[in-house]
Amino acid sequence: MCVAVPGKVISIQGTRAVVDFRGNTVHVEAGLVKVKPGDSVLVHAGCILQVLPEEEANILADLFEELENL
Amino acid sequence: MIDYRNYLKEYDGPPIRIMEVCGTHTASIAHTGIVSLISSKIQLISGPGCPVCVTVTEYIDRLIDLSLTPDTVVVTFGDMIRVTGSSKSLQDVRSEGGQVRMVYSPMDTLALAKLEPAKTFVFAAIGFETTTAVYAALMDEMIREGLTNIRLLTSLKTMPRCIEWVCSMQGGIDGFLAPGHVSVITGSSLFEPLARDFHVPFAVAGFEAEQILMALFALVKMIEGKESRVMNLYPAAVTRDGNLTAKDMIHTYFESCDAAWRGMGVIAESGMVLRDIYGKYDAGSRNLYCDHSHHPMCRCDKVITGALKPKECPLFGKICTPQAPQGACMVSAEGSCCSYFVNRRND
Amino acid sequence: MAHGSGGKATSDLISSIFARHFDNPVLAKMEDAAVVPGAARLAMTTDSFVVTPLVFAGGDIGKLAVCGTVNDLAMSGAKPMYLTCGFILEEGVETEDLERIAASMSTAAKEAGVLIVAGDTKVIEGKGGLYINTSGVGFLPEGDFEVSASFLRTGDMILLSGTLGDHHATILSARMGIENTIQSDCAPLHGMVSALQDSKVHIRAMRDVTRGGLATVLHEFAVASNKCLRIEERLIPVKDQVKGLCGILGLDPLYMANEGKMVAAVAKEDAELALSCLRKSPYGEAAAIIGEVISGEEGTLLLLTEAGGVRMLTELYGEGLPRIC
Repeated sequence: MCVAVPGKVISIQGTRAVVDFRGNTVHVEAGLVKVKPGDSVLVHAGCILQVLPEEEANILADLFEELENL
Repeated sequence: MIDYRNYLKEYDGPPIRIMEVCGTHTASIAHTGIVSLISSKIQLISGPGCPVCVTVTEYIDRLIDLSLTPDTVVVTFGDMIRVTGSSKSLQDVRSEGGQVRMVYSPMDTLALAKLEPAKTFVFAAIGFETTTAVYAALMDEMIREGLTNIRLLTSLKTMPRCIEWVCSMQGGIDGFLAPGHVSVITGSSLFEPLARDFHVPFAVAGFEAEQILMALFALVKMIEGKESRVMNLYPAAVTRDGNLTAKDMIHTYFESCDAAWRGMGVIAESGMVLRDIYGKYDAGSRNLYCDHSHHPMCRCDKVITGALKPKECPLFGKICTPQAPQGACMVSAEGSCCSYFVNRRND
Repeated sequence: MAHGSGGKATSDLISSIFARHFDNPVLAKMEDAAVVPGAARLAMTTDSFVVTPLVFAGGDIGKLAVCGTVNDLAMSGAKPMYLTCGFILEEGVETEDLERIAASMSTAAKEAGVLIVAGDTKVIEGKGGLYINTSGVGFLPEGDFEVSASFLRTGDMILLSGTLGDHHATILSARMGIENTIQSDCAPLHGMVSALQDSKVHIRAMRDVTRGGLATVLHEFAVASNKCLRIEERLIPVKDQVKGLCGILGLDPLYMANEGKMVAAVAKEDAELALSCLRKSPYGEAAAIIGEVISGEEGTLLLLTEAGGVRMLTELYGEGLPRIC
């Protein structure tokens, strides 16, 4: 039920956006976030929940460090 | 880089019970075969975070009535179509002329409503905080567009009170795998009071195998170290405070209410419902508390809270199978019983 | 309802559309029964097709009907020879759709080398629905060629002829309004099968992977043979767009329907040759060896997941999703 997948914003029309998921284009709700074309986003049930960072490397590095300190 | 996989596989300490609250985590765990990658001393228990599974039969009966009402169409996610109320499901009622439409997104209701203004479209609004945010966005759009023929029949649940119920009424859980997408909306801070009050660690996790394994590792380490805090293992999507716009929008349209949970009865302040000022968009969601188990020996209530494993229910695999489900745990693909049955889990 | 009452209007419909597209010497006789040459051993099959929408990316209900029937025959090792087609048309079916469907059936039949030798048309009240029932006849080769789901042996290799889920994804995308360029994989597989037979590969079992998906078919092999099958997720070909759709809708390619894919269990020493045959055949470019028959718990199908875990697969329960064939 909480299935959410990452996609890429192609265009914005007010509070709606067109998002691409590996070649699938879906018209989704964008009213919960501030997005621009090119952003990576997390989409659940046709609605963008969050903007995702472009560069995950730093985030993962911090995460691994936290795990090592346990 | 820590070899967390090896650590989990080789763990030989005291037996540990970890509950994954979210149904989508249950499904991911089964899908990726994670149980075969961890020590048998680490037990994974499915919790009550499957919205279809915890919905009471009275809610489904109300949907069925609505679907049979002239000029009314029930719009729903696919998951709900096969769940039985006190006697039948939305799928059953379709053959009697019940109007039921399956959609991918609640937002699809907008187009349906514009196309047929003389009909009333009622969305079967179930879900946790993740989906409540979507319903709030739907409310926003439909009011902005001046649409008056959409209603919500809500069975919205929130995480904290049900986790509290498991901790205080049942106990026996050493750590929680916290729902990743709920946390995107609410923020990981949602679980801090629970960690503190019940002295139990939480690890917010994503849904990929690697993310779940890292979170399990973090939980095992925190349990070993007797730590009870909330760790965020999904930092790409989850922050401590969550999505503030979404939280505000939820707050605008919905308020907390008592809710009935299959297996746990009515839990105070554990649900959400449209505020009175938006009452005209509600299809009769308040006070839907009655629950009739399909079969007197159905143990969905104990399975949902992790008190029993699916195979410990007397009906599991015998009378109750995905082809002939007796309770919601078997109907929903994210239900513990369906997941265990379809994947022949032995854990 | 003038059409369907047996008078001139019905024969007009038949002759103007179906007979024209399916034209062959047998059908042209317009007798009550088709009389055709036979063989010592025949394979026979029947099926009905009720998919909506009638027309979709990569095909239509007609092409589905011909290919589906041809493939059922081919999977028993038979050369598909003759088809019959019964149509039930609801009032309101567009003539352009009928033309298109009949034309694509004719094309598919020619490609598969089959003759449509008999047909029937009924028109009923309704809203433009169209249903097709077929029966098919094929000739089994002389000799003792026989395949069966119960013939698998430990050590056998499992081959899949191409990407999973394309047809199912096409139908669902159309129904749920998701835009992509996924096409149904609807195709006749007789060429692929006869290439395998000609190569003298030891084939234990063959099946086309239709409703219920790969997992359902392989689970049947495991149970019928009383063996343990193990397949690897990383070896199973799935198009990126289909993976994307599965992510959005929460689907599993292992349980999705296909209309132009087959799975075969062959003797270990023949696996590479079988793979080469498939890859050189039309519709087999993406063929892969995906697993093997191992020593293990009998009647089970195991999946080695991308994460390195093991998951037990069972057959598809219930209808799963809306009917897609």
